Amino acid sequence: MVRHKKKIRIIIAKVGCDIHERGALTLMHAFRNAGMEVIYTGRYQTPEGVVKTAIQEDADIIALSDSTGSMLHIATAVLEALKKEGVSDIHVVAGGLIPRRDIPILEKMGVTGNFGPGTPLEKIIDHIVRLCSF
Amino acid sequence: MCAINARKEVAFNRSFGAIVRTELQSGIPVKVIYTPEDIKNLQYKQDIGDPGEYPYTRGIYPEMYRNRLWIKSFIVCYSTAEDTNKAFKDYIASGQTGLRLLADLPTQSGIDPDHPLAWNSMMCGGVPTYSLNVYEKMLGGLPIENVDYELAHSSISSALFFYSMFPALMEKKGLNIANLRGANINDPFRSRIVYDTPDWRDEINRRVCLDLIEFSAHNTPKWKAFAPNGVDPQQTGANVFQEVAEVLGSAMAIYQDIIKERRLKLDDIGTTVVSMDAESDFFETIAKFRAVRRMWARIAKEKLGATTERAMSLRIGIRTSGISLQTQKPLNNAARVTLQILSCVLGGVNSLDASSIDEAIGLPSTEARHFNIDAQHIITHEANVPLVADPLGGSYYVEWLTNTIEEGAYKLLEKIEGRGGMWECLKSGWLRGQIEESRLKVQKEKSEGKRLIVGVNAFQGEEGSINRAIERTAYKVPSKKARLQTIASIKKLRKNRNQQQVKEALKDLYRATKEGRNIVRPTIEAAKAYATIGEIVGVVRIAYGYKYDPLAAIETPPFIKELIREVNQ
Repeated sequence: MVRHKKKIRIIIAKVGCDIHERGALTLMHAFRNAGMEVIYTGRYQTPEGVVKTAIQEDADIIALSDSTGSMLHIATAVLEALKKEGVSDIHVVAGGLIPRRDIPILEKMGVTGNFGPGTPLEKIIDHIVRLCSF
Repeated sequence: MCAINARKEVAFNRSFGAIVRTELQSGIPVKVIYTPEDIKNLQYKQDIGDPGEYPYTRGIYPEMYRNRLWIKSFIVCYSTAEDTNKAFKDYIASGQTGLRLLADLPTQSGIDPDHPLAWNSMMCGGVPTYSLNVYEKMLGGLPIENVDYELAHSSISSALFFYSMFPALMEKKGLNIANLRGANINDPFRSRIVYDTPDWRDEINRRVCLDLIEFSAHNTPKWKAFAPNGVDPQQTGANVFQEVAEVLGSAMAIYQDIIKERRLKLDDIGTTVVSMDAESDFFETIAKFRAVRRMWARIAKEKLGATTERAMSLRIGIRTSGISLQTQKPLNNAARVTLQILSCVLGGVNSLDASSIDEAIGLPSTEARHFNIDAQHIITHEANVPLVADPLGGSYYVEWLTNTIEEGAYKLLEKIEGRGGMWECLKSGWLRGQIEESRLKVQKEKSEGKRLIVGVNAFQGEEGSINRAIERTAYKVPSKKARLQTIASIKKLRKNRNQQQVKEALKDLYRATKEGRNIVRPTIEAAKAYATIGEIVGVVRIAYGYKYDPLAAIETPPFIKELIREVNQ
């Protein structure tokens, strides 16, 4: 594994009105314990707001969490907002209840991870570290 | 068979799958055996009593299930009013006896479908029930009077709105609203701790919660306008002590306010309903129901001045744990759900909403729901479980566990009181902090292998065609097209409704809110005029001096600005 020199900065974001927060909170602690700088936006966010936060916080990664099955809608909007702000170099990863058929579409769009519930935390952390070491 | 030949050798381990923990789900350590010694201080008459007798440990009715089975209830709420209506009719034909409603996530947050923040969660978790026209469609052809309806919404504004739509609908049809039956949650502590709903701040939530209880006590006496909720705190991470303390703490805080501020007695309210969780831990769940009934009886009598049997008895409504269900090997969820249902029946609950085996994947499919109903029929008619009331009463273990949960929950209630009460503990974030601590403990134990979840962190195995079929059949979220149709339909409603009537109704809601009058009647009238959830939430916010939009993304609509100006002239 390539060691990352500076601390990874990651935004955990929930876009829309999804109330299921347990996954986001779990990852917040897991990422912190893994030595990352974590900012959790809280619920009820807009795609534009998330991107703005990512820019302000100089984030390497936006981690989207959603348990409504709407990740495709959410990720599309966030990628658009990233493009509009000219910061498409920020990686986007996703997790939550993501319909299986949406995963290849998300991967093709450049949204990686797409982890479901019960994924071992080490696997998610490893994915983030690898993403940032390129 | 080639499958047998594929493995030349297999390592044999006699202790494979052995017990890895000796604590229950909430961390209660248990011994190998319980004896009379463990319950020597327990007095049958005082502490247990027969079913239907104070302190109701064994159940609230003398005949229990022989006279009346638990209500078979579950949330039916798909993306459209049409799908939901069809599903209700289908489930009623299979034996559903309680109709539980919800709405999509934006509606529960207090915003309309055409709000920019609604798009990404629109029609998820339920129907975008933005106005009475959708309600009329959703409940079309279903009986309204003398049916048990249950409203499970997260926010106080949606409790108010969805309650109010019933009298609106009934009065429009010429029905007597006194025949409305059922319950809504309307628990402001749960709204903040679990959901942090953006609609209204706590001061508004507290007032509207009381308004609803007061209005219902006078006008719809068969309706329970407050059902403190422990399901969602537990799903967020609370342990059994925290769940019980929160439910009872919430009930005490709200009833103390009702008695003091609204001149009602607990006797006027009658039986209290609580909604609780059924977790995978079998005995902990059973003992919890017994403990909470006994605790409530004593609290109602000693702290809240109840004098009638009804006011001291607690009706328990259940939602079985959603978080215990797994996406890996979903067929296993059938075993989890069945055990959870069984624990509810052994614990003497009064209404049961069982989660379905595909719920970790999407909204329940019709067939998965039928499994839930059939499992309950099997427990009743084949396993003969409900014939005898509280069949585990008198078990050294179950009685000891009931006492243990009671003691722990009382300790927590004392702590809450020492910290200034529920509202203070909500404001300071202490309640949420406690739950967070429990959640992290569980998370740590799972990742260290001290808590095994079959198919997830242990016994992974492989999925075959049955499991894959379950994944495929779960209900999917709506397409972009369906979402656009919803936006078009609310725009059409705004154009076609009688705008003058909406304006007058919202004016009255604004005045009542400002003047401190009960706002339920004005909300019913606003619902009749087809005002939307976003408009009702916004007008109340303005009356309290906040901006119209709880999410600060849209301006106040011009006609609302105008009506407020007219009132204040």
